[in-house]
Parts: sequence; structure tokens; C-alpha cells
Amino acid sequence: MGFEKFLFYVFAAIAVFAAGMVVTRRNPVHAVLYLVLAFVSSAALWLLIEAEFLGIVLVLVYVGAVMVLFLFVVMMLDIEVAALRAQFIRHLPLGLVIAAVMIINMVLVVGPWNFGLDSFAKPVPQPEGYSNTTVLGLDLFRTYLYQFEIAAVVLLVAIVAAIRLTLRRRANTKHQEPSEQVRVRKGPERIRLVAMRAEAVPASVPRIGSGPGADPNDAKEQGE
Amino acid sequence: MLEDYLHILIFLVVAFLIGLAPRVMGSLLGPRRPGLEKDSPYECGFEAFENARMKFDVRYYLVAILFIIFDLEIAFLFPWAVVLEELGLGGLIAMVVFLGILVVGFIYEWRKGALEWE
Amino acid sequence: MPFEAAYLYTILPELVILITASVVLVVDLYLRDDQKGLNHSLTLVGLVLALASVGLVGGDQTATAFGGAFVRDPMSDLLKGVVIVLTLFTFVYSSNYMRDRDMWVGEYHVLVLFSLLGVMIMISANDFLSMYLGLELLALCLYALVAFDRDSKAGSEAAMKYFVLGSIGTGMLLYGISMLYGATGGIGFGDVAAAVAATGTDDKVLVFGLVFVLIGIAFKFGAVPFHMWMPDVYQGAPAPVVLFLSSAPKVAAFAMAARILLDALPGLLADWGDILIILSVLSMAVGNVVAIAQTNIKRMLAYSTVSHVGFIFFGLLAGTEQGYAAAMFYAVVYGLMAVGAFGVLVMISHKGFEAENLDDLKGLGDRDPWLAAMMTLVMFSMAGVPPMVGFMAKLLVLEAVVNVGLIWLAIVAVVFSIIGAFYYLRVVKMIYFDKPEVMDPVTASGSARIAVSVNGLAILFLGMFPAGLLALCEAAF
Repeated sequence: MGFEKFLFYVFAAIAVFAAGMVVTRRNPVHAVLYLVLAFVSSAALWLLIEAEFLGIVLVLVYVGAVMVLFLFVVMMLDIEVAALRAQFIRHLPLGLVIAAVMIINMVLVVGPWNFGLDSFAKPVPQPEGYSNTTVLGLDLFRTYLYQFEIAAVVLLVAIVAAIRLTLRRRANTKHQEPSEQVRVRKGPERIRLVAMRAEAVPASVPRIGSGPGADPNDAKEQGE
Repeated sequence: MLEDYLHILIFLVVAFLIGLAPRVMGSLLGPRRPGLEKDSPYECGFEAFENARMKFDVRYYLVAILFIIFDLEIAFLFPWAVVLEELGLGGLIAMVVFLGILVVGFIYEWRKGALEWE
Repeated sequence: MPFEAAYLYTILPELVILITASVVLVVDLYLRDDQKGLNHSLTLVGLVLALASVGLVGGDQTATAFGGAFVRDPMSDLLKGVVIVLTLFTFVYSSNYMRDRDMWVGEYHVLVLFSLLGVMIMISANDFLSMYLGLELLALCLYALVAFDRDSKAGSEAAMKYFVLGSIGTGMLLYGISMLYGATGGIGFGDVAAAVAATGTDDKVLVFGLVFVLIGIAFKFGAVPFHMWMPDVYQGAPAPVVLFLSSAPKVAAFAMAARILLDALPGLLADWGDILIILSVLSMAVGNVVAIAQTNIKRMLAYSTVSHVGFIFFGLLAGTEQGYAAAMFYAVVYGLMAVGAFGVLVMISHKGFEAENLDDLKGLGDRDPWLAAMMTLVMFSMAGVPPMVGFMAKLLVLEAVVNVGLIWLAIVAVVFSIIGAFYYLRVVKMIYFDKPEVMDPVTASGSARIAVSVNGLAILFLGMFPAGLLALCEAAF
């Protein structure tokens, strides 16, 4: 058992532990942070099989971007954790039985009998100067060109769908338009003098300071 | 090859230990006298009057998802840039088509005003 | 594998759809509200061009492109032609409905066109990666389309359910694909088939991967026990979206099943045949029996879809060319019937009124005799009454099953079909013999009326003269 194997077990154990924590945490924000840990340890596993580019992309894209989105979503939803847990406990026995059956099945098939070290030889370490990024690039742009272009279409659909589903124009929102602001010239565009007759104050209204004519906003508008 | 990452591993281990050490020392050395008043949540001296986690506007989500899409696009650019010389003109055209499709999406989001913050 | 310019000719139909969708997306941004009709015209022109290019590119010989990622053969020609026609019907039927509800926007056209592109990519996929990407493209568009009515709570809920369950389904599929890759070392369908033939079929990993892939396929079809999403999605989504959802993607699901099971895993026929028997019998039983209890016609048609899926699986599990052709015939015919049934529903809905419940169809015979006649044709066809094409489709599938000695299976299918006939005929009874609850005249557009007539009469015509379509299906295998 070499050092690499030791590292594999360490990172694999961290990944499994983090995945377990993701599904059992009470606080969804903690769950997301554990998911980050799971992704980082998976990235380390990918580094171990010399898939460097994929490992780094996993950290960059998933940890850097997708997890931020997850945090937004988790915060956007006002989840009643207690109510969810009640459901969780109620269905737990059935879930456990199904999970146990699945696990037994999977261990029987994916276990050491079929996927053991005997059936799959240890990968030969890549020679000096091997670049995962280069190999990936050549594969992606030669062999898998068609799939690569489909990926662009999938991303385009994601843009359209996200905007269609979430973008709403709010009427009556006030916002600045810098381009308009810059274009304003000196003179009548910037200031407008309004001639106003002094209004006679009816005797029944109290003096300036509390009456409707003395609204401070009105005064400010005239001053600008 | 793999040895090149050894110092990153050492860095990770050291970072982990540095993160861990203050917590361990704090729990070992610091005095702990918990009380009801100390443990109850408060806001600026008041009783807490709402959940600390409030709902975010859906607009944050839109910005985040648009960011992810273009982040993924960038991820494709790295291997392309590395092998562009070997790919030649074909590789250039492939990427132009890829970016062209995404530019359509960019025009769409620009004209729709999805990038404007109201 | 260097790129060749000839590839662009082979994928011409896909390119036409991609360009149409992009053009509509951009043009829509510059249109005023009263000019939005241009989207519709552009879309229809694009679809007709795509249909023409399918005919132009098509032929008897098989062509591959992009190093075997893409294949064009008689099967892809026929299925692509059919899905384009189904999409044409979708747009013609849905125009009034969507316009009344302020959903007649560019995004609707774009998302449906991109779903169509996903369907076409799946039909022509020749390796697992293209298949998966086509499926994702389709699924992503459909999730958005189901939630297209942003103010509808039911729509958002349906989209959420569809998305969560759909993601699990694709996750299973992907896991299965990774197992198959692990066992065979290839992702091309041909490579996988060759590896299976070389190594033999007693590899447990192979069967394990197959099971997960089958779950993915069954999920996309909506076969029992992976049908849970269908009734809720059908009920919650806008009717025109359901109209699309129940037609072209089902044809794509057939293509996916045919490509994966017949092209990549023919060596495992003994394994997947047995699994399909279970899936199909369960689908027929649950679909037909539960449909009887529905009062919402969209839910009823969802369960009816489940039962039809059972028949499509029958043809596949027969494991003969006759069976495959029958299954393909059934899938095509089913798409035509589903479009017709939902088309009528969309047409009798109008502003402020959704035709959703069975009661809404009562007395349609008095309100609009021609539309009622078309709905009757569709219902008879779904029930399998001769001389409608639904009868021919069922007959062909049963013949294929009987020919391989699975007579008990054929008997089960017939029994459940008879049970199923009840709820289809109940619709017909409601149309003609019940008093109408709403008396408003049906305000369907002229083009939609022409389309529904073409649709209904095609069902009748193909039922009486099925030889042409059947020959095309047989040529594919």
C-alpha cells in the first residue's frame, strides 16, 4: 500500500463522510457547506488519477459557482425544517428498507467480485510532460466535436429558460440610467425654473412648518 | 507528475491544522460558563423578532445562474486555448460556432434587460 | 476524426431547426407587441424547411457523421419527419390558446423548437453521449415549458415534480451508462454491441448497467412504476405544452429505447426482454384501471399514455424485426392520436375557461359537430376500434408477440384493452348523449380547424390503408 493509496482512502472517506452529512444536517446552509467539502475531496480524487483539468474545473465551476447558486436557493426558500423532519421520520422505516436492499444489490454487483483490483489493473502513471488539458482538448475538439456544440445549445436553452421563468418587469420601479445622465447638458436640461404664485394661506391652517404646503420634499424640488 | 502536487497537499494539511488549532485551544483553555441569558439569541439588545434567514429576491438567483452559464463556457475555453495550435483552423471554427450560439443567448439576455438591476 | 464539410449536409435538418430557433429568439426581441405573429410565421417556415431537408437528405443508405456520433438512416428519416409534423400541429393548435393567455411570446416558440432539436438529436444519436445530451436538451426545455405560465401555481408545482423526478431518472441513466462504459470500454452503440458480443453476456456489471439504463428509458416513457410524474405534470402544465409533451418526446423515447436496446445491447435481449415484460404488463394494468377513476381529462389521458407505453414495449420485447417495426408504427400512431386528443381540448378552451374536466366535453356534439366527430375518431382510435389506425397498431404489436410464442401476454393485453375501451367510449358518450354544461360556441381558429381535420382524417385513413406507413417502419429494421 503506497502513499497514493493511503491518500485515496483519506479523500474517499472524507467524501463519503461529507455526503452523509449533507443529507442529515438540520441546517440547509451547513448541508451546502458539506457539499462543498464533498466536491473538494472528489476533486482531489480526480487529481489522483491524473485528471487534473477535471479536478480543477470541479473546484472552479462547482465550488465557485454552483455552490453559490445553491446558497442563494437555500436562502431563498423559507424551509420549515421541523415539518420536513417530521415527514422524514415518518417515512424513515420504508426508506431504510429500500436503501438496504439497494445497497446489498449494489455491493453484490459493484463489490470486489466484479470491480476488484484483480479485474482492473492499476493504471500506468502517465509519462513526464503529459498534460491532461491537452489530451482533453484534442478529444473534445476532434472526437467529440458534435457533442461539444450540443453543449452550447444546452447552455443557450438554460439562459432562455432561466430568464423566462424568473425575470419579471416590475412596474413603478425607479432606477438610474447612467447613459441618460451623462448626456444631460448644461442649461435648461439640467434645471427648470418654475414660476409659482405665492399662495394665500387660509386663516384656518396653521403657520408654515406643519401645513401641507410646507412638505420638505416640495421645497427640495424647487431648490434643485 | 503526481509529485508536483505534493506541496499543495502539504499546504492543505497545514491549513487544516491552523484552522483546527484555535478551536481546540479555545475549547481546552477558555473558561466556559454557559447560562440561559448568555445562550439566548438577541439582536442589538432586543429580543429576536424574526428568523435570521430571510428570503432573498429571486433576482439574485437569475444573476447567479447567468454567471454559471458563462463560467462553464470559460471552462471550455481553457483546453481549447492549450491545443489551438494543433487544431488549426478547424478548432477555431468550432469555438466560433460554440461562442456564436452563446452570443445569441447573450443578445437575448441583454435586450430582455436581465442584466439590469432595477 | 477530422471534421468534414459533408457532415453539415447530413445534419441539415438539425441545423435548420437550430437556425430557426436562434432567429426567432433574436427577432422576437425587436418586435412590437402587435407584430408577434411574425414569430409564428418564421417558426412554421422553419419547420417546413426542416421537413423538406429531412426528405432531401434521406434515403435508403445509412450515413454517419462526426466520427460515428450521428447516424442518419431510414428510421431516423421517418421519425424526424413525424416529430416535425407533430410540432407543426402543436403550433397550429396552440396559437389561440396561448394568445388568450399572454403566453404567445418568442420564448414559447424557441423552447418548443429546441425541444424538437433535442428530440431529433436523440433520434439520430449513435453513441451514449449524444443520446444523453439530446435528452438533457429536451428535458431542460420541457421543464421550462411546463412552468411556462408563471402565475400558475399548479404549473410551477408540476414543473418542480417533473424536474426532481426527471433529474433522478437521468441520473440513473447516466449511472447505467457509466457502468456500461466500465464493462465495455466504449460509448458508441456499435462499440458496445461489439464488446458485448466479444466478452459474452454473463458479465454482471453489464446487466447492472442495463438495469439502470432501462430505468432511465422507462422514466422517459412514463412506464409503471416510473409513471408517477405523468398525471401531475399533465394536469398542471398548460394544455398546449401537454399537447407537445405527450407527442414528440414519446417518439423520442421510442427512438432512445430502439437505439440503445437494439443497436447497443442486442446481445442482452434475454435480460431486457424480461424486464420489459414486467414494465409493460404493469403499465397496461395500472394505466387502464386508474384512468377509469379520473374526472380530469388531462389526468385520464396521462394514464392512457401509460397504458399505450405498455403496447410499445410489447413490440420491442418480441425481439423480432416484425416486433420492432410494429412498435415503431405504434409510437408514430400514438403521437398522432395524442396530438389530436389534446388539440381538441386546446381548441375548446378559450379565454378564462380551461377544458380540463370530462364534464367540459359534455354535449360537444351539439356545440360543434365537426370537432366532436374528430374527437370521436381519436377516442375510437385510442380504444382500438376498427377501422381506426389505433386498431391496426394494436393488432400488429399483438401479432408480433404471438409470433414469438408469448400468447399469454397477448391475452393480458387484450383484456386490459377492453377495460381501457370503457373510458374512451365514456368520452364519446358524453360528447353525444349528455346535456352540455356550457353552451358557449367553440372559438377555434380556421387553421386549427383545418389541422384537426387533417389529423382526424389521417387517423382514419392510415387505419384503412396502413401499408405505406408500415412499409416505412419495416424498412427501418
